[in-house]
Amino acid sequence: MKIELKVNGVDRRLEVEPEERLLDILRERLHLTGTKEGCGEGECGACTVIMDGKTVNSCMVLAGQADGHAVTTIEGLGKRGSLHPVQKAFLEEGAVQCGFCTPGMVLSAKALLDRNPHPGKEEIAVAMSGNLCRCTGYDRILKAVERAAGEVEQ
Amino acid sequence: MKKRGRGLGCAWYGTGYGNGFPDVSSAFVEIHDDGSVSVLTGAIDVGQGSSTIFAQIAAEELGIDADEVTVISGDTDTTPDSGTSAATRHTYNTGNAVIKAVTQAKAGLLAYAARALHCTSADGIELKDHRVRVKGEPARSLPLAEVVSQARLDGERFLGSESYTARTTRVNPETGQGSPYWPYAFGCQVAEVEVDTETGNVRVLKVVAAHDLGKAINPLQAEGQIAGGIAQGVGFALLEEVQLSEGQIKNPSLSQYLIPTVLDTPEIHAILVEEPEETGPYGAKGLGEPAMLPTIAAIVNAIDDAVGVRITSLPATPEKILAALAGPSKT
Amino acid sequence: MNDVIGGTVGGRVLREDAWGKVLGQAAFPADVRREGQIYAVAVRSPHAHARIRGLRLDEARKAEGVVAVLTSADVPHNGHGVLYRDQPVLVADHVRMAGDPVVLVGAETPAQARAAAGRVEVDYEVLPGLFDPEEAMKEEAPALHPEIHGGSNIVYHLPVYKGDTAKGWAEAEVTVERDYQTQMLDHAFLQPEAVLAYVDERGHLVVEVATQYAHYDRGEIAHALGLKFNQVRVRTRSVGGAFGGREDISLQIMAALMAWHTQRPVKMENTREESFYSHSKRHPMRMHYKTGATRAGKLTVMEARIVGDAGAYASWSPNILRKAAIHATGPYEIPHVRVDAYAVLTNNPYTGAMRGFGAAQPVLAYESQMDLLARELGLSPWEVRLRNIYRAGSETATGQVLSGSVGMEECLKAVKSYLGEVSGR
Repeated sequence: MKIELKVNGVDRRLEVEPEERLLDILRERLHLTGTKEGCGEGECGACTVIMDGKTVNSCMVLAGQADGHAVTTIEGLGKRGSLHPVQKAFLEEGAVQCGFCTPGMVLSAKALLDRNPHPGKEEIAVAMSGNLCRCTGYDRILKAVERAAGEVEQ
Repeated sequence: MKKRGRGLGCAWYGTGYGNGFPDVSSAFVEIHDDGSVSVLTGAIDVGQGSSTIFAQIAAEELGIDADEVTVISGDTDTTPDSGTSAATRHTYNTGNAVIKAVTQAKAGLLAYAARALHCTSADGIELKDHRVRVKGEPARSLPLAEVVSQARLDGERFLGSESYTARTTRVNPETGQGSPYWPYAFGCQVAEVEVDTETGNVRVLKVVAAHDLGKAINPLQAEGQIAGGIAQGVGFALLEEVQLSEGQIKNPSLSQYLIPTVLDTPEIHAILVEEPEETGPYGAKGLGEPAMLPTIAAIVNAIDDAVGVRITSLPATPEKILAALAGPSKT
Repeated sequence: MNDVIGGTVGGRVLREDAWGKVLGQAAFPADVRREGQIYAVAVRSPHAHARIRGLRLDEARKAEGVVAVLTSADVPHNGHGVLYRDQPVLVADHVRMAGDPVVLVGAETPAQARAAAGRVEVDYEVLPGLFDPEEAMKEEAPALHPEIHGGSNIVYHLPVYKGDTAKGWAEAEVTVERDYQTQMLDHAFLQPEAVLAYVDERGHLVVEVATQYAHYDRGEIAHALGLKFNQVRVRTRSVGGAFGGREDISLQIMAALMAWHTQRPVKMENTREESFYSHSKRHPMRMHYKTGATRAGKLTVMEARIVGDAGAYASWSPNILRKAAIHATGPYEIPHVRVDAYAVLTNNPYTGAMRGFGAAQPVLAYESQMDLLARELGLSPWEVRLRNIYRAGSETATGQVLSGSVGMEECLKAVKSYLGEVSGR
């Protein structure tokens, strides 16, 4: 089947198989490998992307379901020298260790701050609870999101 | 009813391979024209931050900044074998190897600088703030980059290739007597929990963790190791279990094998205790594994403090806690 | 906050790779690709203990896109392991745990490889298994590895004996005795195992992987394939957590074998389920503890028996049960000690290194004992520890005098104010 979607602001037309997932087309066809596969069942959040402003687990979205939608992956945020405030906060708070969960975490935080620039601690924790991390204990990730909220505010 | 309690857990951990097995780390070092440096080591950064530690150590030894050190690691075509990323051994063991290799690489540089600065001995030269200085006479100095590039034009090369081996002995297999590890790291944690006596659910509200790591080469990373260790300790104490039936794993997925989410992890207060180890790099021992050890016990002891049940089989699931609360053999 | 890019020892220096990680540029092994790569999938045993009577590979070989179907016959030296090479690359006849790889299928696409793997037929004779280490350690239990580990499933036993326990019991005025049990755990690192293996322009085998020890992997790959060390390059990509679970070989040799055999780049990526079956686990341990102390709160004696389930292969089990035995007292001076620790082979998933490495499980036992003793003695848990902790000059149960940095008392003092008086009872 043919699908059309916008990925990181660029229009893409793709011929996809019915069983292909959004995750597969991002990684295998568009080579946007910042989106990670950790479990394949929507549990770990490593494959989080933003679709029309909302976070989705791209392993649980069929490519066909992304037809006509706008998708933002980690590659669509900042660049070296002009990081997105969430990326900058993750760096500055030392929230990155092995880094496998980081793209998904950053995107979940971005989506939260886009819909509520002033989230409380509880709201941040709930918004990040779909993203698993095995290294950091989440401590610095929470601090990073709080810091980013402060910066977005300014 | 929700009841709170606090518990204490202490632990010790012998770092390194131990038991007389040769625990060897190696590093190659080259100082470049502009005073920046490459460190090559087999030691792999698996997320714990070893490459940053090596960069900081090399920078300290050369009076430069860590971002002027490139650490190349874990490539068998280019880096020397430095043992495995395990046993809480890289900061101590490979850190010592990096110091030795840098010391070797800079020996010729110090001798060259002594001549350039008209000092009678290389022992009188130090590397600080990107300059080569005469000790005790900081005004008499030259920029590091200038000295290195001039020296290289004169045909000097500043290379290091060194190994470090930790000291241990094999224990007697009949009695277990010997000195199997060195050095040892220590830690104590206090956990505060809230136990729901109706559901058996345990929430860990806060963990205060004091760890003797010798010296925090990088406090940011040390705090990260402690927080990550505590989260894994929470999983060990309360959530995780590979369930088997006739040797088959019944829960081989992250929806069935539950690891802590952000909602399961407590507020964390880390205290870095620096009791210097004379054989460690700048007094450092290690922290990676010890960070999670006391958590298990602190939680189990806190549950007892809260509701008076002694859990002896992990994980401390709601079912076990409810059974213990209902049971006749309440301790 | 003093986070810096530069900085030296003691500074809150940021890790250099953090930039690449927040930007999604960091390359984990699943993220790297090579022109013309094929995909390999392992066919794993569903049975924990079985003999393989035969393989039927014709259907798999004929399946669409299949490049090669490999078995144990294709492995020059069919064994790997950190202490003993007791683990086959591909099982020839004796399956010892569920998840043991038997056949390796390579095909043009991941879907074709998985489809063809589904057409491999393995004729298993299912054998009764040993799943309880207490049963497996009995003399009459059938030995799981007679060739390598001899007639007993006890792959390791370490006694740690110090002083005279009879004297210790005579001095003890309070005794606490309990059984403790810890569970099997998975590392659950977020990045499932993945490998890219290929033969480069020099004719060298290159294996790109996330591992804890590239040089060990190189040795095991070279050994299994009958190559020289210099013909094998293991290159570590970003590692998505390890915690001990990337110490043993998982996919490395299989991917290398397929690449060497087909001379095509080969990608292998575990699903999460495959990941559960292809790396070690944390040893479940049964620990019987008996501890004695004086009314003044000084420990006089401790006896412990620790049995760890090694699972189907030795991996690091001897070292792990050694570490358990050596750390069994906790950080406390005890003059009279008798500890026996055993590692026992079973048909459960094999167990190996995991953060804490055998020094983790006994913490449950020795710290529970301390709290129970405190209650018997009418002392606070903090006080009873203070009276027994290691200090510089203390002697451990192995007779080692702690000569240098022993920051135990400082740690204990640092957390005291947080213990407070909270008690739900």
